[in-house]
Amino acid sequence: MGKYTFKGKAAVSVAAIAALALTGCANVGGGGGGEETGGGDNGGGQEGGVLTIAETNAFTGANPAYTKANLDINGKVATGTREGFIYVNPSQEIQRNEGFGTFEKTSDDPLTVEYTLNDPQWSDGNKIDKADVMLWWATSSGYYDDGDAEAKTGKDYFTIAGSTDILGHTDIPEFSEDGKSFTLTYDEPQADWEIALDQDYLHPAHVVAEEAGMTEDELLTVLEDSPEGDPESPKENADLAKIGKAWDTAFNFTATPENDKLLLSNGPYKIQDIVENSSLTMVKNDQYNGEHEGKLDEITVRFIGDSTAQIQALRNGEVDIMAPVSVNKDTIDQVKEIDSVNVLQGQDLSYDHVDLNFGTETFKDKNVREAFLKTIPRQQIVDQLIKPVTDDASVLNSQMYVSSQGEPYEKATETNEAETLYGEVDIDGAKQLLGGKTPTVRILYNNENPARVDSFQLIKESAEKAGFKVEDLGDPSWSEKLPDGDYEASLFGWVSPGVGTEVLSQIFKTGGGGNYNDYSNADVDKLVDEARSNLDNDSRVDQMVEIDKHTFEDAYGLPLFQNPGFFGVSEDIEGVEYQPNQDGAFWNLWEWSRK
Amino acid sequence: MISYILRRLITAVLILLGASFIVYIMTAASGDPLWDLYGHPNAAQLIPDRIDSLNLDQPPILRYFTWLGGALGCLVPFSDMCSLGVTRDGLEVTQLLLFAMGQTIMLVTAGTILAIVIGITLGIVSALRQYSGLDYGVTFFTFLCFSLPSFWLAVLLKEIVAISFNDFLQDPVMSVGTILAIGVVAGFIWYLVSFGRMKTRILMGVLGFLVTSGIVYFVLATNWLTAPFLGIPLILLTGVLVAVIATILISGLRNKRALYSGLATVLVGLIVYFPVQSFFRGAGLWTVIILCLVMIVIGAAIGYFAGGYDRGQGMRVAGITGFFVALLIILDRFMQSWPDYLDSGRIRGRPIATASASTPGLTGDFWIIGIDRFTHLLLPTIALTLLALASYSRYSRASMLEIMGQDYIRTARAKGLSERTVVMRHAFRNALIPLATLVAYDIGALIGGAIITESVFAFTGMGQLFVTAVRNVDPNPVMGVFLITGIVAMVFNLIADLVYSVLDPRVRVKA
Repeated sequence: MGKYTFKGKAAVSVAAIAALALTGCANVGGGGGGEETGGGDNGGGQEGGVLTIAETNAFTGANPAYTKANLDINGKVATGTREGFIYVNPSQEIQRNEGFGTFEKTSDDPLTVEYTLNDPQWSDGNKIDKADVMLWWATSSGYYDDGDAEAKTGKDYFTIAGSTDILGHTDIPEFSEDGKSFTLTYDEPQADWEIALDQDYLHPAHVVAEEAGMTEDELLTVLEDSPEGDPESPKENADLAKIGKAWDTAFNFTATPENDKLLLSNGPYKIQDIVENSSLTMVKNDQYNGEHEGKLDEITVRFIGDSTAQIQALRNGEVDIMAPVSVNKDTIDQVKEIDSVNVLQGQDLSYDHVDLNFGTETFKDKNVREAFLKTIPRQQIVDQLIKPVTDDASVLNSQMYVSSQGEPYEKATETNEAETLYGEVDIDGAKQLLGGKTPTVRILYNNENPARVDSFQLIKESAEKAGFKVEDLGDPSWSEKLPDGDYEASLFGWVSPGVGTEVLSQIFKTGGGGNYNDYSNADVDKLVDEARSNLDNDSRVDQMVEIDKHTFEDAYGLPLFQNPGFFGVSEDIEGVEYQPNQDGAFWNLWEWSRK
Repeated sequence: MISYILRRLITAVLILLGASFIVYIMTAASGDPLWDLYGHPNAAQLIPDRIDSLNLDQPPILRYFTWLGGALGCLVPFSDMCSLGVTRDGLEVTQLLLFAMGQTIMLVTAGTILAIVIGITLGIVSALRQYSGLDYGVTFFTFLCFSLPSFWLAVLLKEIVAISFNDFLQDPVMSVGTILAIGVVAGFIWYLVSFGRMKTRILMGVLGFLVTSGIVYFVLATNWLTAPFLGIPLILLTGVLVAVIATILISGLRNKRALYSGLATVLVGLIVYFPVQSFFRGAGLWTVIILCLVMIVIGAAIGYFAGGYDRGQGMRVAGITGFFVALLIILDRFMQSWPDYLDSGRIRGRPIATASASTPGLTGDFWIIGIDRFTHLLLPTIALTLLALASYSRYSRASMLEIMGQDYIRTARAKGLSERTVVMRHAFRNALIPLATLVAYDIGALIGGAIITESVFAFTGMGQLFVTAVRNVDPNPVMGVFLITGIVAMVFNLIADLVYSVLDPRVRVKA
């Protein structure tokens, strides 16, 4: 190829080519030196091996139950370093973790649950005992709290991210002689009793005590002897305040803390090293005696904020697993193109929906509500927004369940007749219901989210065909305006919690904290209360399906679609399974292994 | 002079005060500092919490003075009064700043230095051969890099230099045809950028073809990429090259004593090579620095004892040669650790990294960690260098062209000075004077961070700190970044002016 380039100097090129050709091989490089290349096959060189996973946010603390540290990444790390009586599988079913301990309901009325610890221990060898359990229960029950937000009196001792809804109904736990088992007694039945003790709230009492400047025994005494808090007559309790402060603040660190006791773990892995804003390394917990013993020696979490950077790191083998926060066609296509990477696709627990505001004049009339819902082009929205990302996307047809929940979702969609009522856009039907009226509908949504903007446009176009006047209330600070109720319809997303019933009273009950659209139906209220105190799983599903049916009958609003989600996982890694909840891929990190 | 500096410093303080006030008020007024909490399930507790910790119930002007009080505390040495406030998440700004500065400096230092050195060299060379293929080539290349968006350049670099290169490393084999094709392309580029008569240019093209194909062939045939080495022969070859180039630039080849002292230094380096290896076993940064210093001193000593009509030249040639030989020996030692690095379970044969500053959890001696730093900083450094190349090369080209047209250059030529003396002594030094300002400004800007590059390569430096804080309507970290960059900019401005007066006798600081 080179010989035409250098006319006068052909001799030189010919000589050069000849010299190269003399080596006798057409290919240069590779095995010549006898020294093997460092590539590929050395990965399995060590027993167990190491794995790196990319995460968007940086780690900020080992206590994800504390409000300010309640970040997805902290919870994900905690799946390696904390375990409790249960965990949740990808179908959002509660699984028992008997390696930690067992529990059973010993009575329905009053609801009594007996827990037995299976000798779990912290990574320094300290057993999980009465003090740990008391602290665990104290933080998530709010038993001692006497704070009154309105009157600004009293104090909530532990600043927790969740609510004290479930364990708030229990009395102080009663322990057996050996302290290995304890009993919780509820003052009223709670459907969510199984998920009452969340492992994110479990922290080593001896460390919290040390941070609070007392011994573990003193801490236990304080918890046992302090009276139940009463917001009516708040009393100061200095010792509890110290414990609360230690629990709140001690576990917040962005780099490896000097006190390595703060890194104690009772899960299959323990944190070894944290490099601020860059990475976190967990190693196998050698004191772990539960059932979920890790297969890998080491799991490293790397914080890479930019999703393109995550994908390139995955391509380059720097990370083995990645799960982007926002999923779009672009990112998923890029990951699918990588040869050595498997894409695990699934449906996220978050879903978009349109809610109609029952507090407005326009939607007081059920016919108008129904007419508006009939115009919402749900299939078209899914086709345009979600289908390009995942082929098997479909319209979400239940307010109660998401499709990854399987059976209950099927049941709900059969009962609520969403498909027949609102399966297809029915402009004529809507016109009939309106009877010539042209109501104005102002829709509140986040106009910084391109998907919502597109949904809004499609809804607007379709609704105007039926005679509605649609006004754009798109606003980046939509969430501030949501409780004000100054709109006819709202378009936003909920994240289904997967397990638990708390969401029922939050969203659908009259006056619920998340019931922004003033929905009120006496039957639904009754069903919500019944479901939340129903201890039988099957009949509870029936009740929730019933609530679902009511919302469709009342033209509450419409669910649109579940957001798609995916993990990119290197071919060398086994055991990763798609999990739509906030723990993501981490939920079964003990099963991860390197081929 | 001293009163001038004092006056400048006082003005600087006043400017900082005024600017800090404006920046604080602007940040505070840029949005609602509670925006992320509305609709949060724990809003009832979080909102009063934040209002309390950031004093949001006070007007911004009062908050500014609280902040100023804390910041003034930093002027009192060894007291605990220094406080730049906390972020909205309750983290100390001083801590964050320290960390972010470390990251930023690590990210941009090498890139800036390389951009200065390469940029100025390219500029000078292209000025000396104005309107040649080389000149056009350099202009085209630097402007191409200048106009690339940095995030895109970064993504491209990751794709080619990291991912494709690592893929290639899995099986580093090329056909002879490919090697020749690479040679032809390289030869063509040599032809294009060479200058002079057509015959010379074609010869350069052929040379380019031969050298490039030869190097590629050598690298592949010896498995150099997976087990690189310099060894005695390559150190000798490169060392001699350095000695010759240093002699040409500094004293001219006619100064045989300088050349010989340079070559002698290379020889000493080769002798030192063997005993030094055992020192390297438990080495740290200091070993490396000491080796460099020792080699410079040895070189200077050789130059001194070689004597001649101009000792200084000989010392400089040999000193520079000594420095580079030391670098070669160190480089050779790094190369010895390369196969171990590749084999490490965390690298798995894919060395060039695309994100962050190091491989998490990688342990090893100084050499392994050093290689890890190198593989991680390689891409950001290339990106930053390419992006900054244009300004340096253009400035130095323009300044060199101007100087070369001056009367005193003609005078120098007229009195019979060699071209080397004219260029190196009379033109080059004076051409650097305007660049002093540019470099000083850039060092000031260096601390400010490279926002996009930081984010693409997952560094959390000053740029990230600043952007996050602005987005969060969080004045304290913004002020921290502002304070540091402001002070650095002012100080380097002052230094630039002072240096100017030292470099250019026509400029005098008025006392």
